[in-house]
Amino acid sequence: MKRRTNLGWTLVGAVAAVALALLWAFPLLWALSTSLRPELETVSNSFHWLPQTWTLDAYAKTLQAGNVLRWLLNSFVVALAVTVVTMAISLTAAYAFSQLRFRGRNLLFGVAMLAFLLPFEALLVPLFRTMNQLGLINTYAGIVLPQVVSPVVIYVFKGFFDEIPADFREAATMDGAGPLRVLWSVYLPISGNIVWAMAIVTFIAAWNNFLWPFIIVTSNEMMTVPLGLTQTYDAFGVRYAQLMAAALLGALPVGLAYALFQRKVTQGFLAASGLKG
Amino acid sequence: MASVRLRGIRKQYGDNPVIKGVDLDIEDGQFVVFVGPSGCGKSTLLRMIAGLEDISEGTLELGGVVSNAIEPSRRGIAMVFQSYALYPHMTVAENMGFALKLAKVPKGEIQDRVTRAAEILQIGHLLARKPKALSGGQRQRVAIGRAIVRKPAVFLFDEPLSNLDAALRAQTRVELARLHRELGATMIYVTHDQVEAMTLGQKIVVFNGGHIEQAGTPLELYERPANLFVASFLGSPRMNFLKADLVGEREHLASVRLAAGATVEVAADAGRQHIGSALTLGVRPEHLRLAHEGTPDPRLELSIDAGSTPGRERRKEGRREGIPGTLNLVEYLGDVALAYVQVAGMDEMVSVKIHGGHGGVKLPVLGTEVRLTFDSRQAYLFDEAGKALPGAHAPAAPSAF
Repeated sequence: MKRRTNLGWTLVGAVAAVALALLWAFPLLWALSTSLRPELETVSNSFHWLPQTWTLDAYAKTLQAGNVLRWLLNSFVVALAVTVVTMAISLTAAYAFSQLRFRGRNLLFGVAMLAFLLPFEALLVPLFRTMNQLGLINTYAGIVLPQVVSPVVIYVFKGFFDEIPADFREAATMDGAGPLRVLWSVYLPISGNIVWAMAIVTFIAAWNNFLWPFIIVTSNEMMTVPLGLTQTYDAFGVRYAQLMAAALLGALPVGLAYALFQRKVTQGFLAASGLKG
Repeated sequence: MASVRLRGIRKQYGDNPVIKGVDLDIEDGQFVVFVGPSGCGKSTLLRMIAGLEDISEGTLELGGVVSNAIEPSRRGIAMVFQSYALYPHMTVAENMGFALKLAKVPKGEIQDRVTRAAEILQIGHLLARKPKALSGGQRQRVAIGRAIVRKPAVFLFDEPLSNLDAALRAQTRVELARLHRELGATMIYVTHDQVEAMTLGQKIVVFNGGHIEQAGTPLELYERPANLFVASFLGSPRMNFLKADLVGEREHLASVRLAAGATVEVAADAGRQHIGSALTLGVRPEHLRLAHEGTPDPRLELSIDAGSTPGRERRKEGRREGIPGTLNLVEYLGDVALAYVQVAGMDEMVSVKIHGGHGGVKLPVLGTEVRLTFDSRQAYLFDEAGKALPGAHAPAAPSAF
């Protein structure tokens, strides 16, 4: 009897999970469905879940007419650079705040954390002026630099490093490792999953960032994917199939990256939350 | 190999002094044990020798070279941590070879040295494993192996056995002693376990409150404790202490009256004390004897009892002597039993260690009135400040480390 009840609840749970998954995936599936229709069908009055005529026209036209491949390259360069530099700065800063003893350490950490309180939007004008003075408008450096300081990532890494027994650092110091070597050879491998998790989150955030590239980039050649999508809309008018195709093409690398590292990201967040992964 | 010389070593965290002026000489190749209760500063001093803590004041010499400002990795020192601190992402071989890799030692030589150290420690079959796949004992060996491959002049051990079970601890103790014999290196070992200290150390340094209470060979410290602290710290069960007043002194023999009423003699020089001075009588449990009505020949037993000195006339033969008390509890430990006797005027019970023969230990029933006796040469007197009075067992120069 009890077994039957359990089975019943399992079924209810499974149905609910599938329903929620469909709900979550619906916009994605609808975008996919739209991108595979002829342009005319997307504005037709009759509603169909699936395309009446299946075609890859939208993808072909997007790739030919727009500058999508260039934007993809820009997004990749920017997101990768932001990720690498953010990780480098955050890891070294977090290690210093966590493990090194120096005068003003807590004050400095407090100042770094104060950046939490400042919305990025409030910094747009001074940042733009600075980049302009440095001649970095429409450059990779101009897009990347303001994005590489992340107090959240520093905070997460510091919390993680605080939990690692100091014996490891001391043993490595006795073995002849300097602070950077200790970080690279001991703390980084021990913190592996959380580093991956933070890197993926940073990469996705940089890839999806719209506001700052929108401010700093005026040239079509230097646009990233989110920025380029607005151009696609302008260039094609209301061409939903091509818009969806461009959006999906733009999201594809991020989706792939997440799919590849999903396990590490999950383990990383579990480790950071104190639960066992 | 190298000698270690500490002069006026102090450590201060803000206004809080942790090490309060330590002078110590450790000879080349000596096995020295730092022992003391938690928070006494022994680990801090070890870390200062290692270079993991700055020295606030004083001079540290390693092999005759002032080393206060030398980087930890350049001091010729290797340390085995209490937690072992094995890098979890590296194999045993990588853990052991890490320091050599950083020192840019050629790969072939790293492999040779790791293999040789693994052979000494019998962990050759574990070299490809990660630390999480090792037992506590194996991890401990790897940690020692990591130290050995560096061929240090001085080995530092920070309570390395505290995470092992009792059986493994005893076994590893023996192996550490063997290792010291084989390597002949200077070793400094920190522990709060007096058994480890007594069995491993050629020299024991007893710490308390950031300073050295006494340093010497295990036997010196056991037989001639400089003060109440050392006397109470070494020996298991610990030494019994009874409040006493000085009632007489002659020929290096002090007579003291206990709160229980008994008067006993101790081979100690109480020349600087005056009659009536409050003293503390110390007798180790293994030096006390139990006498009672059921003793086959009570007079014989009692004739060598409290305060008697061999060779002296059995002047009190037939009289009831010793410290009176009531047998309250007995713990049987096989060939040894611990008897606990309640003595009038004492909060703590007096413990007596009794060795039995093949038939085991036989003791009177609980509640029996007994008398505690001892050889006057195996008792100690401490003055009000806790310092041992010089005598048959008292140290000649307690502060000479």
